[in-house]
Amino acid sequence: MQIFIQQLVNSLSVASVTILIGIGITLIFGLAGIVNFAHGEFLMVGGMITWFLVNSGVNFFVALAGAMIFVGALGFVAERGLFRFTLDRPMNGFIMSIGLSVILQHLVIRVFNEVQKTIPDPVGKVWLVGGVNIIAMRAIVVGLTAAVVAITYFGISRSRYGMALRASIADPDTAALMGIPVRRYVTGVFVYGSVLAGLGGSLMIALFPITPFTGSVVIIRGFAVSLIGGLGNVGGAVVGGLILGLVDGLSAGYGLPEWTDAYALVVMIVILIVRPQGLLGGTLGPRATG
Amino acid sequence: MRNLLWSATLATSALVALSTHLVRADEELKIGVVAAESGSFVSAGNTIVAAANLATKQINEAGGIKIGGKTYKIKLYIRDNRTDVNVTIAAARELVDDIGVKAIWGTETLDFSVSMAKITAAAKVLQFSGNSSLGAVLDDKSVAPGGWLHYTFQTEPQEWQRSGSTAKGVLTLLTPLMPHPPKHSIVFVGNDATGQYLSSHYVKALEAEGQQVDLVKYPPDTTDFSPLLTRIKGMNPDIVHFWYNGDSTLTAFPQALKLDVAPAYFLFGVDPGIYQERQLKSDKPVALSCVPVCWGAAPNPAVQDYFKKYFELGAAKGPQSSVSLLYYDYFFMYAKALEEVGSLDNPDAVVDAILKMKYQGVVSPVPLTFNPHHQVTFATEVSAVQPGTSDQFKAAVEQPPAAPPPGDPGG
Repeated sequence: MQIFIQQLVNSLSVASVTILIGIGITLIFGLAGIVNFAHGEFLMVGGMITWFLVNSGVNFFVALAGAMIFVGALGFVAERGLFRFTLDRPMNGFIMSIGLSVILQHLVIRVFNEVQKTIPDPVGKVWLVGGVNIIAMRAIVVGLTAAVVAITYFGISRSRYGMALRASIADPDTAALMGIPVRRYVTGVFVYGSVLAGLGGSLMIALFPITPFTGSVVIIRGFAVSLIGGLGNVGGAVVGGLILGLVDGLSAGYGLPEWTDAYALVVMIVILIVRPQGLLGGTLGPRATG
Repeated sequence: MRNLLWSATLATSALVALSTHLVRADEELKIGVVAAESGSFVSAGNTIVAAANLATKQINEAGGIKIGGKTYKIKLYIRDNRTDVNVTIAAARELVDDIGVKAIWGTETLDFSVSMAKITAAAKVLQFSGNSSLGAVLDDKSVAPGGWLHYTFQTEPQEWQRSGSTAKGVLTLLTPLMPHPPKHSIVFVGNDATGQYLSSHYVKALEAEGQQVDLVKYPPDTTDFSPLLTRIKGMNPDIVHFWYNGDSTLTAFPQALKLDVAPAYFLFGVDPGIYQERQLKSDKPVALSCVPVCWGAAPNPAVQDYFKKYFELGAAKGPQSSVSLLYYDYFFMYAKALEEVGSLDNPDAVVDAILKMKYQGVVSPVPLTFNPHHQVTFATEVSAVQPGTSDQFKAAVEQPPAAPPPGDPGG
C-alpha cells in the first residue's frame, strides 16, 4: 500500500510540470493560433537561465523570476519577429518553430556547452509521512502549479481581459471592430505562455537535470496534454496533465516499465478518437487570424 | 653588376631549394575524425575530438612521425556527424574519397561505426572505434585480410571483460561498507540497443559473482525516474546498479536517494569529479565507475597528467570526459606502427604491426595489445565514495576475467 501511495504522490509532481507546459501550449496553440514547436526549447532555456543564475550565487526563487522574465522576453521577440508574419499561414509558423527549436538548442550548446545541467535541490528536505517519502521541492512545484492554474483560469474566464481575449478568438473581425486590439492579445497570450515555459523550466531543473535537448522530449507531452484536455482550455490542460502523470506513474510501477512512454501516448490516442475535441472541449486550433 | 645579378640569382635558387626541402621535411599525414559535435551524442562526440586534438598536438610538437626518411605532421580533418548515420556515411565518404585520409577515428556508437567501416575497408583506411559492441561483428572472417573489418580496431575492451572487471570492482568495494554481504542486485538500464547489449553481459558478470539479479529497463530520455525507482524499492534490492548512461544515472540517482530505494548503489559512467562537482552525498555506500578511467579520481600520475592537459585544451568536464581515453592512446600506437612499417602506403603491414605491438599507453598500467579479433583489453576503474562525503574516494582496478562467465556468449 505504501508503494502505491508513493506512486500517486510521485505522479502528482510530474503531472504539475506537464500541466505547466500544457497550459502554455494550449494557450498559444488553442487561443493565439500559433503552433510553436519551440515551446519545449523555451522551457529548456528557462532551465538553463535558472542554472546560470543559481551557479552565479543567485537564490533559486529569484533565479526562477529571472528565468520567467527572460523567457517572456524571448517569447515577445519570437512572436513579434517571427510568428507575427505567419498568423495567416499556421503551417509556415509550425515549420519556422521547428527551425527555431534547433537554433535555440545549438545556441545553448554554444553559450553553455552540451553537458547536462543540474542545480542542488533548493529546499533539500524529504518528509516521511506514514512510510511515504514526500520530497519538499516536489510539494512546492505542486503548490506553484496550482496557483498558476488558478490565476490563469480566473484570468481567462472572469477578467475583462479574459473576456476580450475570448471574444478575439470567437470572432476576431467583430472584436477588432469593437476596439479590441486582437494582435496585441495574440502577443500577450504568446508572451504569457512563454513566461509559463520559463517557470516550467525553472521548476524542472529544480527536480531533474536538463540538457539542451530536454525541450524536444517535453514538447510531445505538452501537445498531448493540450489536445487531451481540449485546445485553449486551461481546465482541460490540468485534467490532461493529471491523466498523463497518473498513467506514467502507475504504468511504470505496475506495467512493463520500458513501455512507460507508450502507455501515456496510447491513452492520448484513445481519448482523441473517442473525444476529438478533447475531454473538456476547446477551440479548433490554428486558423487564420485576420 | 652582372656578377651581382648572378650571385643574387644563385642565392635565390638556393633559398628556394632549401625552403622546398624544409616543406618536404614537414609532410602531412591526413587523419579523419568523425564524431558528434551536435545532436544527442554530442557529449561523447566532443571527447573524441578533444582527444584527437590533444594527441595530434603532442605528436606534432614532439617533431612529428618519421616514416621512410621523411617527417610527417598530423593534419586532422574533423567532421561533425550530427548524431546522424547518414551524415556519418557522407563524412566518411568525403574523408576517404576526396581528402584521402589514411585513418579515421570515431564514432560514438556501433551503428555509425559499422556504417563507416564499410567505406574505410574498401579504401584500406584504418578505423579506430571505441564501441564495445563491435565485438558482435568482429570475428575470424570479418577481420581476415579481405574481410570487411580487416582495417577496423575496437579500442574499447570486449563487453564481458569490462562487465567482469566492473562487477568485481563494485562488489569488492561495496561489500565491506554494507551491514551484510549483498545478494540481490537490480540492474537499472536504458532500454535502447546499447543498454540491452551492455546489460546482458553485466547481468551475467554479476551472476558469476554470486548475485541474484533482476533487470529493470527504463525508456531512453526518461527524466522522472521516481515511479520506476519506487517499483524497485518494492523489490527490496541490496544494490541498485545504474547501468550504462551516465547522464541518466545522474538524473536518477538523486531521486533514488530521496526515495531511499536501496542500501547501496553503483553508478556506472559517473566520474568522481562530477560526483564532487555536483556535491552529491549519500549516507549509503556508493560505487562509481568510468569508461574507462575516471578523471575525478585518476588512479595513477599518467592519467592525472593526461586529464590536466586534456582540460587545459578547453574540453568540458562532463560525465563522459573519460571516454576520450578510448581514443587517445591509439594515435600513438598508429604513429609507432607507421614508423615501424616505414611507409604510408602499406596499410596491411600497418595492421600487422599494430596487432604485434605492445604499447604502454595512458589508459592502462598494463601495456595495450589487440587480440586477433582487433579488440583491445584493459581494466575498468571503480571507485567507492566514503558515505556522507562528496570527495573521499577509494579506487579499485580489477583486471578483467580470462574468459566470459557462464551463459555469456562473449563477443
